[in-house]
Amino acid sequence: MNVTLDQLVGHGIILTSVEDVLQWGRKSAIWPMIFGLACCAIEMMGMVAPRFDVARFGAEVFRGTPRQSDLIIIAGRLSVKMAPVLRRLYEQMPEPKWVLAMGACASCGGVFNNYAIVQGADKVVPVDIYVPGCPPSPDAVIFGLMELQKKIQAQRPLSQPVA
Amino acid sequence: MTTAATDTSLAELIKARCPGAVTGAAEFRGETTLTTTPENLHRLLSTLKTDPDLGFNYLADIAGADYPGRSKRFEVNYQVSSIPANRSVRVKVSVGEDEPLPTATNVWKTANWHEREIFDLFGVRFSGHPDLRRILCPDFWTGHPLRKDFPLDGEEVAFTHNQDSIKPQEAIWKKGLGKAEYALEQGAADVGEETTMVINMGPQHPSTHGVLRLVLQVDGETVLRTIPHIGYLHTGIEKTAENLTWQQAVVVTDRMDYLSPPTNNLAYALAVEKLMGIEVPERAQDIRVLIAELTRLASHLIALGTHAMEIGAMSVFFYCWRDRELILDIMDFLSGVRMMTSFINIGGVRADLPDGFHKKVQDFLDVFPASVDEYDGLLTNNRIWEKRTLGISVITPEEALDYGLSGPNIRGSGIKWDLRKDRPYLTYPKYSFDVPVGKTGDVYDRYLVRLEEMRQSREICVQALKQISPRGEFRTADRKISPPPKEELERNMEALIHHFLLYTRGFQPPEGEVYSAIESARGELGIYLVSDGSNKPYRMHVRAPSFVSLQILPALCEGGLVADVIAAIGSLDPVMGEVDR
Ligand code: SF4
Repeated sequence: MNVTLDQLVGHGIILTSVEDVLQWGRKSAIWPMIFGLACCAIEMMGMVAPRFDVARFGAEVFRGTPRQSDLIIIAGRLSVKMAPVLRRLYEQMPEPKWVLAMGACASCGGVFNNYAIVQGADKVVPVDIYVPGCPPSPDAVIFGLMELQKKIQAQRPLSQPVA
Repeated sequence: MTTAATDTSLAELIKARCPGAVTGAAEFRGETTLTTTPENLHRLLSTLKTDPDLGFNYLADIAGADYPGRSKRFEVNYQVSSIPANRSVRVKVSVGEDEPLPTATNVWKTANWHEREIFDLFGVRFSGHPDLRRILCPDFWTGHPLRKDFPLDGEEVAFTHNQDSIKPQEAIWKKGLGKAEYALEQGAADVGEETTMVINMGPQHPSTHGVLRLVLQVDGETVLRTIPHIGYLHTGIEKTAENLTWQQAVVVTDRMDYLSPPTNNLAYALAVEKLMGIEVPERAQDIRVLIAELTRLASHLIALGTHAMEIGAMSVFFYCWRDRELILDIMDFLSGVRMMTSFINIGGVRADLPDGFHKKVQDFLDVFPASVDEYDGLLTNNRIWEKRTLGISVITPEEALDYGLSGPNIRGSGIKWDLRKDRPYLTYPKYSFDVPVGKTGDVYDRYLVRLEEMRQSREICVQALKQISPRGEFRTADRKISPPPKEELERNMEALIHHFLLYTRGFQPPEGEVYSAIESARGELGIYLVSDGSNKPYRMHVRAPSFVSLQILPALCEGGLVADVIAAIGSLDPVMGEVDR
């Protein structure tokens, strides 16, 4: 039987690359870790609650352990005492993993430019997405999540593996 | 119990009962301060508590302060209350750098964490303290951050002209990597036999209400010992506030108890107003009452929702959140922000009510009773809920007083103590509401108290909303505090000067110190302020109700099951932002 590619496409078959499918799968089922630090965590919980319902974006399966998560939302201010804990949690997450800094504090220290707060979580772990706000409203975090999904989709783990 | 005595005669009475211990007495803004010396401190405190005519059975707070210029640089202030007689005094003692103070832990158990906090942040030692370790700062920390010679630190803000010369913040946290922070509590092992195990719970744990860390020593499912570790969210709020002007500092107070930010604003604003002796217009006070009660509802909703979720009733969480969103919408409508409104500030509230505010609040108040009935129906007679909460983590009234509990936690144990009734502030005396109390002091009772408080808060909201006219005064007219309105600026030179000074320098309250407390959703939220007459607070200390109530946790968990630890934490309703500040 001699079927051309064009004919196949006409019958509901799509052509794509393995990488694309892989990343599509990854971005559509993000499992965030339950990691609430401060005030922002309350809005993060608001994001899970019925009104904003992050399940619509495939990211509602919050996990209690880093070993089952692939996203860590740093929701709140990171104190000097907590920083080593964050680092350890991040290291415990399996690859591939992403980090979303939620709020002014996690992004840059926020209103607390002082001895106790690390001036930006990116000093401790690599951050993929920064969501501004104090606290960012749940829709802002969902927007951040969608940006992250775009980023994940664009990543090329097979052909250009990250060093 | 004595008959109601004026405060001067109270000072005389105390002097008579504890001869030679009081070296001075002062009155300021209706507060009595007694000065004593380190040698006499313990005798004075014990007399205050045990003398039947004094009966100061409640230690509300201990606040430290640092005055580097003095020969004895530290000051420690004990805020003591008598709950049956409803009065309080402050005991002040000055102490030098290498001089120890006698501990008060054997007078009131609640002194424990307060003293550790002062040791951690100021470096004052307490002799005889059972466990004098750092509490908020990490173990690898050096120095005592609230000393005046300790810099605020942080990192310079980058602009084009300085971006290349900025010194990065010192990576102190690196010191903690893989260090003793994770080593299990020393000494935990030598309590029990070989069958015991040590479990680390937190600081990242779904059910510890934030970054609370507990080290549990367990024998099978039975908890033998619980050691709480706090400070994972230590934010330096007190130090930051001391580096901002009085009005600016309102903003950092929002971030303490983040389940009820406007209540923090209120506590701080009332303290500053007390310090300055300002009266706020009645309408503004009514608005404050309304906001405070709406906030209490929002906060209790989260407390209930998360507590139920942690015990396994997931759906309650969703219902509670549905209603909380309605309150957040009101806040958003009012101030443009959902959570950190800073709407209540010194002098009144920030702006007048927007059009349509009454309707929005009324709509919420109309639907809310049905929601409370719904929670009631979901939980109160629910067999699983009862099994998990009835008779669990019982707090006796004596323990509650000894540990300085407040709010729903002390009322759950049957002590009717509500600052809205007992030490009225704002216009609360105008409104009629009940103060629910529990009978046995278990988790279930504390749940019932919160549930009923929601109904009562709604009643207050309904009454307050009727009182508030849609337009009117919302701030004090004192031009030293409130900026003049735009029209005045265009016509009046003096107004322009006031405006300029307010925004460049801020106002300067008179020298003095006050302690002012309100009933927040978690209990007595007290603010201790010292003014040196400048435009910034010299000292701002927060008596955080959750910080105090969390201390009782080890006593509650001992002998119980691991699962009950979760029930106990939820029933105390701590907010780590406030605990760690
Ligand atoms: S960004 Fe604002 S809301 Fe978020 S943790 Fe920081 S202070 Fe709290």
